[in-house]
Amino acid sequence: MPESFWRLRGRCLKLGHDVPHANGIVPLRLITGRENDPAKITPYLFEQIAPGFAAQCKPGDIVVAGRRFGMGPKVPGYIGMRALGLGLVCESMPVQAYRGAIGEGLRVLSPCPGVLDACETGDLLEVDFSTGRFTNETRGTTREFAPLPPELQELVLHGGTAGWLVQWAKTNQPA
Amino acid sequence: MGFTAIEKVLARVSRDEGHRAGVRAGTLVYPEPDMVMIHDGLVIDAKNALDAAGITQIHAPERTMMVSDHDVLYGSERAAQRGAFNRRTAKTWRIQNFYDVGRGGHGHIFPMEDGLVVPGMFYFDNDTHATNAGAVGAFGLRVGGEIARVLATGTTWVPVPQSVRLELRGRLARGVYGRDVGFYLARSVAAGLLPFDLDYRVLEYAGDLDQFGLGARVALCSTATEMRAAGVFVPPSARILDYCKARAKRPLHTVYPDADAHYEASGTIDLAQIGPQVVLPGDVTRATDIGEAVGTAVDHAFIGSCGSGMYDDLLVAASILKGRQLAPGTRLFVVPGSERSTKRLVADGLMQVFLDAGAIVLPAGCGPCNDAVVGPLGSGEVSISTATNNNTGRFGPRDASLFLGSPATVAASAVMGRITDARTMSADAAVLDALETCYA
Repeated sequence: MPESFWRLRGRCLKLGHDVPHANGIVPLRLITGRENDPAKITPYLFEQIAPGFAAQCKPGDIVVAGRRFGMGPKVPGYIGMRALGLGLVCESMPVQAYRGAIGEGLRVLSPCPGVLDACETGDLLEVDFSTGRFTNETRGTTREFAPLPPELQELVLHGGTAGWLVQWAKTNQPA
Repeated sequence: MGFTAIEKVLARVSRDEGHRAGVRAGTLVYPEPDMVMIHDGLVIDAKNALDAAGITQIHAPERTMMVSDHDVLYGSERAAQRGAFNRRTAKTWRIQNFYDVGRGGHGHIFPMEDGLVVPGMFYFDNDTHATNAGAVGAFGLRVGGEIARVLATGTTWVPVPQSVRLELRGRLARGVYGRDVGFYLARSVAAGLLPFDLDYRVLEYAGDLDQFGLGARVALCSTATEMRAAGVFVPPSARILDYCKARAKRPLHTVYPDADAHYEASGTIDLAQIGPQVVLPGDVTRATDIGEAVGTAVDHAFIGSCGSGMYDDLLVAASILKGRQLAPGTRLFVVPGSERSTKRLVADGLMQVFLDAGAIVLPAGCGPCNDAVVGPLGSGEVSISTATNNNTGRFGPRDASLFLGSPATVAASAVMGRITDARTMSADAAVLDALETCYA
């Protein structure tokens, strides 16, 4: 397992509590249109709540959010976040939202109680999703959270459920 | 410490032997389901997903059910082509339980009537309304598009949900029904009067439940689902068990929660306090006492959906429609939950009641409740229905006004042409008497 895959280093985008999927992570029209093409999603990521972020962010940047991030089972936003190489750390995520994010292969740490107090937008962060270590290099502080469960790491490593299924089929389908 | 209903059921079906003695909320399990269900709207996506992975066979065709309920009339060529695709896929995947259009009805209704969903079972479903299984003390869990993984591999990961307990005390007054309880629950949760968050929780009912027959129990499952409950559990009464045993096509694994089970939160509703509820346009949390909406003119009415698709619901509506006509300018769609119920309407003479009133009886299934593929509204029109929710745009135009009510409220409103408290109208006593025995 490539260690660097699990360890992201980049700038923090800090969001608040209750970021909805529709008109929070992505505009509603991408959800009702069931958009799943990353190229059509990424320009609009966080458009309503962090204008300009999608154009400026770099692979490795970390979105840090509060409680109940993503509310609901929709997934276009996670497709976009993964395509941009972002990681997600949040105080909590509804199970169906978490399931959607993992299913799309997004690197996620949740729940991370108190993480909003551990960073500000623009801080340089390093997060290891396989161990749960959260380092704020700007502040020189480290927090330990629960890692992405080992059972789910395999899913994320293969890019989500679709990629995992391809791997599964190679060893489990009759020729 | 004891176990909740979902903890017991997931312990039984977990792939991991170590879980047999019991699993706790939060544990990650891989259930080996008693059944897998997919509906007509998701088959193309699932087939494409498996094709993309080079997967040509599904894990357990003998335990998989494919149901055509979301679009049974094919109002477009595209819909007909999708039906043809689904039929070919059922054949390719060798699905043993394929309920094509006109062959079963609503996938969250008829399997309980037919003994395919029985107490204590666990199944995976692409659709969120699988929670209806709670009406017989079973669990259906929504996994959305991940149903493709379940079809291929037989399982997927499931965090065991937390459970919340709601005790219903006392008796419902005459003219108040299961849907009213659900709407009242929604407004109570939204107002913070019940200490619950239902998001991915199992809602376990307790208390004075013997007054609720199978149809009412289905109604009790509906609204919590719209508040994102992972499951609903109504502990089966002796009557429910008798009904299920007499029809069961698979073994029963009936469970009840332990007296010392752990609940994340608990609350109580005094049933006698509840009157007929109407949900104002927006979402189910906008439920209110019917008085606030009485008199609103309606163009469109609909009785059916997974929340009100049982024979009880048809009886209640017929008891008000009997000998009456719909108001001029108001149209009413009646959608039985099962083909069995449609046939029963004919046998009981109630089909004549609906037709004499001027209602349009559609084939069993979701009816307008699925993206208004049939019976949509026009711009600016007003509807009152028993749909499972009234989210903006559910019946087509976003500027239409969607109200929800019980089948009695909807039937009365369709007759009067405006939202009406059914308790102000006479109801046919003989038709209502049949409620006692309609799922006996």
